[in-house]
Amino acid sequence: MTTPVTIIMIEDDEGHARLIERNIRRSGVNNEIIPFSNGTDALNYLFGRDGSGAGHRGQAFLILLDLNLPDTTGIEILRQLKENKYLKSAPVVVLTTTDDSQEIKRCYELGCNVYITKPVNYESFANAIRQLGLFFSVIQVPPATI
Amino acid sequence: MTPEVWHRRALWQFLPLAAGFLVLVAISAGSVLLVYKSRDDSAAVVHTIEVENQTNALLLEIRRAESSARGYLLTSAQDFLGDHQEAVAAIHPELDKLEWLTQDNPVQRENVRKLRSAIEMRLSQFAREMDSVKAGNPTAAAELVREAAAGNTTATIRDIANEMLTEENRLFAMRSASAEHSQWLASTVTIAGSALVIVLAGISMVLLRRSARARDEAEAMLRDANLNLEATVDERTADLREANDEIQRFAYIVSHDLRSPLVNIMGFTSELEELRHDIFKRIASLGRAVASAQAPVVSIETEPVLEGVDLKLSQEFSEALGFIKSSIAKMDRLISAILNLTREGRRQFEPVPIDMRQLIESIVATLAHQAAEADATVDIGNLPNLVSDRLALEQIFSNLIDNAIKYLRPGVPGEISVKGRTKLGFAIFEVSDNGRGIDQKDHQRIFDLFRRAGTQDKPGQGIGLAHVRALVRRLGGTMSVASELNSGSTFTITLPLKWNATNRKQDA
Repeated sequence: MTTPVTIIMIEDDEGHARLIERNIRRSGVNNEIIPFSNGTDALNYLFGRDGSGAGHRGQAFLILLDLNLPDTTGIEILRQLKENKYLKSAPVVVLTTTDDSQEIKRCYELGCNVYITKPVNYESFANAIRQLGLFFSVIQVPPATI
Repeated sequence: MTPEVWHRRALWQFLPLAAGFLVLVAISAGSVLLVYKSRDDSAAVVHTIEVENQTNALLLEIRRAESSARGYLLTSAQDFLGDHQEAVAAIHPELDKLEWLTQDNPVQRENVRKLRSAIEMRLSQFAREMDSVKAGNPTAAAELVREAAAGNTTATIRDIANEMLTEENRLFAMRSASAEHSQWLASTVTIAGSALVIVLAGISMVLLRRSARARDEAEAMLRDANLNLEATVDERTADLREANDEIQRFAYIVSHDLRSPLVNIMGFTSELEELRHDIFKRIASLGRAVASAQAPVVSIETEPVLEGVDLKLSQEFSEALGFIKSSIAKMDRLISAILNLTREGRRQFEPVPIDMRQLIESIVATLAHQAAEADATVDIGNLPNLVSDRLALEQIFSNLIDNAIKYLRPGVPGEISVKGRTKLGFAIFEVSDNGRGIDQKDHQRIFDLFRRAGTQDKPGQGIGLAHVRALVRRLGGTMSVASELNSGSTFTITLPLKWNATNRKQDA
């Protein structure tokens, strides 16, 4: 039995959030998207009230993460996600404006699955999101171990 | 302390020494002169004594001759005769000697002359007396003796001799006094001179000590100043480094944050483009619907065609969007360029030994396609090898060679050369071409960020040379351009043969 993947989008820039959402939809992905405009709200949702992350056991997430957030950094969120035994299996797609090699390296070291530089060029952006859509459709999120 | 004061002080120090030296020379010269003088004086004194002796010796011989003559007269003994003859024979040489000795003195010469005539007279008397005795006539001889005594020849001789002795005594006293005076003078001069030298030496020592103290003070001050200077330099360097880091951070943050709104602008412009498509399609179909009210809406597959005012509106819409998009693309490129530059600025260099020929050859190989297209050949001369950062050097030379290929004169086959030589621990590289050249007024401008020169017919951001110069500077080198419009350019790069990592690592 597979549960549909819920997309968690952590992005403070409303415009970016809207563009990402539109392009996801345009590429034919109809999964539920839950947007968060800051890191604290997102972490509260994901980790639950007790902070253990056990609340979403058995639920499949795909996390779209922006690195520049007003209250915390995406890197910090990534670290916390990958340290949690319930959430560490959820794929994380880092979306950010820079292509700084140090930052990319850091994200992959922490366990990010895909790193996408937000392109200014709309065509390539749409293309990236579309490929991401394909990626969404084929991923099999294993149920979180109890 | 001003140099003038130093100069004056040195002069004052030098003066007593010079004076002391002069005094020493004077003393030496004076002593030599006085020694000569006193030797002369002594010689004169000795001479006087000699003259006295000689006079006495002469008188003695005359007395001897006289007494032996008398003896012979009384006894007629042959012993006395021999003695007398011996004395008479000695008188002449003694007299000659005296005359020779008194040549220097006219008074004595006169005396000697008188003495000689008196002696000659006495000698002739002797001769006659002897002859009378030998002839066996003692009475005649006695008569002659009496006659001689009456003539007072002996007394005359004695008086003259006494006069001479008196004269010599006077000279002796005078010459002794003179010699004494000379000696006194010599000792006085020596003592006074020595005292003066000691005084001057003392002054000199005091001045020397004072100047040594001044020098020590100056040295201490210099040491302090140096320490201060070092501290100041360190402080300033730290400030500069901080300022530089701040600028780097600033540039990074600004360019980074500028990109975020740009993503939105571009994204929604594209959305607008999509919308435009939909809107004008709708306008077209509506327009057609109005034109042929009866006809049903045509199938969606056939593309509706705009007409008249609607077409113009659509074109203007597209044009506006086109300008926005190209401007955004340009802005994105500029921001990326700044980001890359700041990233380059933060990259740490790793000095490794580099075979420059191999490096340039590999760059030329990468650019071979462009070179062939532009009908250009690249000639690589002798190149000195370096210990430096490979990536930085690759960027520097590939930018320069790329530029040379890019900006050739149309219709003229490109001749590009890369040459090198070493000079005083530096390697000097020259990349020259026969291309379109750069106007004199643009020689500085081409190294500025986002600035370009000449006809803008080639793609580019105006970053290459700014980047190259920044890299050359970080590698501890300098670069310059020599060029004239339409006659090619030569870029000269001077780099240290051995890049000093320890110095620069703190800057990075």
